Amino acid sequence: MRKVFWILLLIGILASFTTTAKTVLVIQTHWSDFQVNGILDKNGNLVYPGLKQYIDEYTKLNPDVEIQIREVPFDNYLQQLLVSHMAGKAADIYDLYSLWAVQLVNSKILDIPPSDILNGVKNDFVSASVKGATIDGKIWGIPSEIDNYALIYNKKLLTEAGYSEPPKTWAELIKMAPKLTKYDEKGAITQYGFAFLSGWDSAVVHPYLSLLYSLGGAMFSADYTECLVNNPLGVEALNEELALFKEKATNSAGSVFDFPHNTVAMMIMAPWYVSSLKQAYGDKYDEYVGIEPIPPVKNPATVAYTWFFGVDNASKNKVAAWDFLKWFALQVQPNTNTTRAGDLEVNVISVIPPNKADLENHLAQLADLKVFIDQLKNSVQEPNVMQGAQIKTILMDQIVAAWNGQVTAQQALDNAVRKINPILSRYYH
Amino acid sequence: MKIPMKSSRRENLAAYVFLSPILLFFAIFFAFAVGFSVWISFREWDMLISPLDAVFVGPSNYVVLFSDPLFVSSLVNTVIYAFSTTIAVVILSLLIAVALNNLRYSAVWRFIYFAPVVTPAVAIGIIWSYLYNPSRGIVNEVLGWLGIPAHNWLTDPHYALMAIIIVAVWAGMGASILIFTAGLRAIPQSYYEAARIDGATKVKMFFSITLPLIKPTTLFLSVTGMIGAWQVFDLIYIMGTNAPASSVQVISLYIYKTAFVNLQMGSASAAAMILFAIVLVTTLFTLGIFRKGGIESYE
Repeated sequence: MRKVFWILLLIGILASFTTTAKTVLVIQTHWSDFQVNGILDKNGNLVYPGLKQYIDEYTKLNPDVEIQIREVPFDNYLQQLLVSHMAGKAADIYDLYSLWAVQLVNSKILDIPPSDILNGVKNDFVSASVKGATIDGKIWGIPSEIDNYALIYNKKLLTEAGYSEPPKTWAELIKMAPKLTKYDEKGAITQYGFAFLSGWDSAVVHPYLSLLYSLGGAMFSADYTECLVNNPLGVEALNEELALFKEKATNSAGSVFDFPHNTVAMMIMAPWYVSSLKQAYGDKYDEYVGIEPIPPVKNPATVAYTWFFGVDNASKNKVAAWDFLKWFALQVQPNTNTTRAGDLEVNVISVIPPNKADLENHLAQLADLKVFIDQLKNSVQEPNVMQGAQIKTILMDQIVAAWNGQVTAQQALDNAVRKINPILSRYYH
Repeated sequence: MKIPMKSSRRENLAAYVFLSPILLFFAIFFAFAVGFSVWISFREWDMLISPLDAVFVGPSNYVVLFSDPLFVSSLVNTVIYAFSTTIAVVILSLLIAVALNNLRYSAVWRFIYFAPVVTPAVAIGIIWSYLYNPSRGIVNEVLGWLGIPAHNWLTDPHYALMAIIIVAVWAGMGASILIFTAGLRAIPQSYYEAARIDGATKVKMFFSITLPLIKPTTLFLSVTGMIGAWQVFDLIYIMGTNAPASSVQVISLYIYKTAFVNLQMGSASAAAMILFAIVLVTTLFTLGIFRKGGIESYE
């Protein structure tokens, strides 16, 4: 009798294990709390769902799947990814900045998406974002965000200075900026005609690349064996920035984040900053904030960068991970003709969704980002090159040195190329 | 009396048992970490592959470092930072401690000077960044009253490191003042009374009594201050991001960026080894100087 009892107990335990065993997926994202948990009204009611609500919806449809969210701040994202991977605690799904992904692809950390996903990405997404998710000729995930740059200007400050319109060319901008700049009696700038932001590689390098692309230049040779920024076009692009310093319309102490204080007349910034400006200005947003394409030095151009969802090659649940991503970021919902990821990106994260259906069917919500969206056609994807972050930091250091008058544009870019080319030679032949 | 061999062995065993937790901790978090760092400094490793698969590159990580102008400028900045903060903190702290020792309500003054010590470096960095703001900061405002033109303290390559050093000295003085005060109180008052009877001035008493007798404290603060200054990270990370890297970057920040931005753990470890060697040599050098002055207690 006792023997039978123990056998039954053992069968019961085993049965309970088999019935409760779920496929557990971990998704790592840099999104902040409200982007994960959704936007609530004053009474705590959900206004726009965050990532968590979409995951709840998916797990209801797929009760055998459990999805955990790993929130990691942007600043620590890559480090966390590396350390967790090394410790065998890697996530199954990542939302990745394409520049970081190059290293991961090189180390075989990312999984190649299934063919139906590859076709979906090729057909349904804007080309700049597809290029962003493409490394060494292969697509490595589903684009989740595309950012480019535009000129953001303070309408009031321009009007006060007698300008009814923003500059149409970079030469015009250089002429206008000094007249929009104010100094106090001690000699400090109190209002920037044009503000840069030093100390953050993207904020320094991306505006420079936008001017370089406007001139028809390129950062690297097509095979990535050579950095080209010290050629005449690269030097001219930096000199176009330095003209603002020579005209005393800016200095390296400026910050684009001072714009809401009405101390910055013009700046080059990405679309994700627009939601912060809307929050800062509230009802007065339209009165103060204007957005126009970056005034071209020669041709209209801006740089773009991409984030995409990828799956870890070492994940035990790669199929389940891609299935979730397909449902979340590729499948169009019949009632809205938009993807769930697109809804989240537009309503909560306030970025440009890279899916064409989302761009077409979210027109009203994307009205503030219209200029950025229109400029997607002139956007050149930031090159997905090995050691991209290091190369960007090197270029930033040299550009900032030139801003501060430590070196000329030619010297700065020669220094940068001298450091960047040996890095390239380690990976490209 | 001769201790029986068996009992002595048992005592040794007991000692090792009691020591084992700390020895284990030391082995994992210090000996292994340092050993691994030395080993990886001769390899190329990006943390994305197993360290066992890291390619052996010999001493090239060390050689490449010295051909990197940013490493050299980081080294120079670290030397400037370490010597200027340590010397300034020790001298100013000693002078303030002597002054406070003779003041009424000295405990209140000590508390005021000690306050920055209990403030996180990140908070100090952020607050001082506001104070240094070129148009809205109080530093330029006060200098303006004196007729000194405004400067972009944290972005101008000529001033950025100096501006951070000033903050480091301000933040580092509190603890040193407290330790100097304790040292000053340990000097017998009878020495000063005897000197006073002999007609010595306050300056003479400072140089002939206070300074020689406070030497062990000065040595302690110099060595610990120097070691800490070589490894500075937080203040530079918070306050130095907007200046050209070559004008403010220090070695620890260089190591961090090389490891976690550039994913070059081999080069970062090589730089860490160089930093270790510098700290060791500087500490021995400082001890040597003080030994010549007759201090043996910290050897």
